[in-house]
Amino acid sequence: MKTLRIIFRFSINSLQQALSNVPVFLLFFFSKLIRYGLFLFFLILLFNGVSTVVGYSREQMLIFYLIFNLIDTTAQLLFREVYRFRSLIVSGGFDAVLTKPFSPIIRSLLGGPDFIDFGVLIIIVVATIYIANTYIHPSWLQTVLFFAMVANSLLISTAFHILVLGIGIITFSVDHLVMIYRDLSALMRIPVDMFTNPVRSILTFVVPVGIMFTFPAKVLFGLLSWQMVILSFIFGGLSLYLSLKFWKYSLRQYQSASS
Amino acid sequence: MRKYWVVFQQSFQNEFVYRLNFVLWRFRNILRILMTYFLWHSVFSSNTNVFGYSKEQMMAYVFLVLIVTSFVMSAPSNDNVGGEISNGTLNNFLIKPIGYLRYWLTRDWASKLLNMLFAVFEFTLLYLLFRPQIYLSQSPLQLFLGIILLIISSLIYYLITKLAVSVAFWTPENSWGFMFTILVFMEILSGNIFPLDLLPKSVMTLLQFTPFPYMVYYPIAILVGKLDVFNTIRVLIQALGLLTVCYFITIKVWRRGLKVYAAVGI
Repeated sequence: MKTLRIIFRFSINSLQQALSNVPVFLLFFFSKLIRYGLFLFFLILLFNGVSTVVGYSREQMLIFYLIFNLIDTTAQLLFREVYRFRSLIVSGGFDAVLTKPFSPIIRSLLGGPDFIDFGVLIIIVVATIYIANTYIHPSWLQTVLFFAMVANSLLISTAFHILVLGIGIITFSVDHLVMIYRDLSALMRIPVDMFTNPVRSILTFVVPVGIMFTFPAKVLFGLLSWQMVILSFIFGGLSLYLSLKFWKYSLRQYQSASS
Repeated sequence: MRKYWVVFQQSFQNEFVYRLNFVLWRFRNILRILMTYFLWHSVFSSNTNVFGYSKEQMMAYVFLVLIVTSFVMSAPSNDNVGGEISNGTLNNFLIKPIGYLRYWLTRDWASKLLNMLFAVFEFTLLYLLFRPQIYLSQSPLQLFLGIILLIISSLIYYLITKLAVSVAFWTPENSWGFMFTILVFMEILSGNIFPLDLLPKSVMTLLQFTPFPYMVYYPIAILVGKLDVFNTIRVLIQALGLLTVCYFITIKVWRRGLKVYAAVGI
């Protein structure tokens, strides 16, 4: 309960900070909407020239893209503080985090949610529900599994961000690693099936962005086998477990060199 | 001129100090190309001709994007100029006998040179992996004009991005906002993901009055001979016009910005 109360306080602080400069808030908000809108426009344009792409219809491709944005934006909203972690380490500010009676990992992950993404997320959710209900008509089982798979994707995303934090403690650098994660994620604006092997296998089983972004949509379409669903959950649980182990290891390496 | 040559040499050497950062940055560029490559690869797996493009033509376009963006859009100034205005370190340059915008332009060109060297290496590697058929114009004049446009485009890119960060003179806490917006438009409307002649004609006509298609689409269209000589010269004249307009606006805004600049970050 205390943890939730503190996370809520982090969120309020972050919201107040974002709203302290409304024009900038709106500039970023609309820019992000334009970014999503332009790629959607491209997908629609593309399907004016072709009927299907690797067997997927226009509506399915739109759903893939929207679900990618749903998961990606949620992760960015929650874990924005990770992008600021380097300055905490190099300035020695992380010492203050460690001395407080609050989990340093939660502070480092959820200490500054990004509310610009929250506004964008609402629009993405509405668009996804509308298109899924209009064109896909998933069964209740597919819908329940979809939500479970989205939760699993966020679990893998959490694991990755913890890994970045751990590497940040050891190497003092997180910027490029986070951006590589973002670029790898951005590959999944199109379904992982579009990549040929071995790239497809790497993106599914080595850097599991395929599991994170493509599998939830495939569950919604009823196109994912139950074996792959189970494998996804095992992947999610295992990646979180290993990342927490690595976090503990990295904390033992922390030397507070900058303070 | 000699001082800028020294800046160029030092910047080039400086890039080798942060080797890992540079390699990761180049790796990120390859990742970006991969999505576009596989998207079009999938599209052409069940179609032989899409929007008038054959698979070979589209793949050639995707691969040339890697080279063109490495030249036009590699600009370390984007990550530094806004911050230097906000935190007041711009002072260091104002008291030196060096033009600040020329200084960063020189540093950008040093970065472009290194990026191009790596892009050629990556291009060769990807070429050996995917074996695309690359078409280039057979006309030396077209190739020459394409390279001229590349130089003009990189200058337009520099001026526009510096114009975007100059907002930091008035709102030091917001040095990235407009830049972000410009880069968002640049991502799709420059032709990074698809050739812009896929767009409806009316949209394409409208886009000609913006700087975006001159960044990637037009240079490639000229280099692969998609535009005839008449249209190439027309595009070059338009680009020169845009460059002139951007130059005067940027200089005017910077002069005004420097008048209100108070080095508040110090």
